[in-house]
Amino acid sequence: MACPLESHNSELLVAYAAGELEMEAAHALERHLEECPACSALAAGQAAVWKALDAWQAPAISPDFDARLYRRVRTEAPATWWRRLWRPLRPMPLFKVLPLAAAACMLLIVSVLLERPANIEPVAPRAETVRVDQVERTLDDLELLNQFDVASHTDSAHPNTM
Amino acid sequence: MRNLVFISGLLLVMAGAAAAQNAPDSSTETQPPARQQRRSRNLIDRWNQMSPAERERELAKLPPERAAAIRERIRKYNEMPHADKEALREGYDIFAQLPAEKQELVRQSLREFRRLPQDRQDEVHRAFMELRVLPEAQRTARLNSEEFHGKFTMMERQILTVVSENLAVPAN
Repeated sequence: MACPLESHNSELLVAYAAGELEMEAAHALERHLEECPACSALAAGQAAVWKALDAWQAPAISPDFDARLYRRVRTEAPATWWRRLWRPLRPMPLFKVLPLAAAACMLLIVSVLLERPANIEPVAPRAETVRVDQVERTLDDLELLNQFDVASHTDSAHPNTM
Repeated sequence: MRNLVFISGLLLVMAGAAAAQNAPDSSTETQPPARQQRRSRNLIDRWNQMSPAERERELAKLPPERAAAIRERIRKYNEMPHADKEALREGYDIFAQLPAEKQELVRQSLREFRRLPQDRQDEVHRAFMELRVLPEAQRTARLNSEEFHGKFTMMERQILTVVSENLAVPAN
């Protein structure tokens, strides 16, 4: 028989340890195990794992497990609208949040960069033309207001004329 | 899946916030033009920003003496001390926001004020400085008080009523 480890057929050893091989194949492998220490060690290790698994006993559940489970199902089933609204906001595991947050930040940066207007040279505001009659009227108004204010600042001085 | 939907919503909100940040400030856009113009350049400031050639082109539309008088008045305005000019600008801003008919009313009152003797001008102005910061109800009560009736003539009270109502310090 060809060595299972050398022929990359270690599944044969795993199947043997699990008791899944046919009797003839199992006898052939046992003969090889007597001659091959590497395969023998691997088969022994596998057998130890199976033995440990067989020895493990699941902890017994409490007698009222079913009752508590059904009670919880009953109370959580008709969740209120705000509870349903809040559900997506419940804390997520960090390993789930980090990649999503990184993606969100990237998207935000890209959107801000795309929205930013190009570096355009500011155009100097063109001075609008003001009509001279408007200027004269504004000067009249400023003069009236100025005279009214000046009267308070200087008791004796005459207001300046603009 | 539920979390994916939530994150998508979050992304939409963040993108919306980013877009809003780049959008023009709507609070200034919705302000009425008069408020936007507050403390803005008045016509003389805008005149000063025109090129000399543009200014001369406008002045050439007037008779030479009138054009010269305007040049001189603008020179005096430009040479006013900064603090005085700012105070005048502030007063003019309040005046410029008034409707046209109220502006005319204020002009008439200020012309009447100019005709008063200097001592009466001082007295009226002192009263105005006191009235302009009062709330409307208190101002009216003060204007109608016995003290004011005894202290000021009807014309002076009318001047005070018009200018204090229209050039009052705006409430913050």
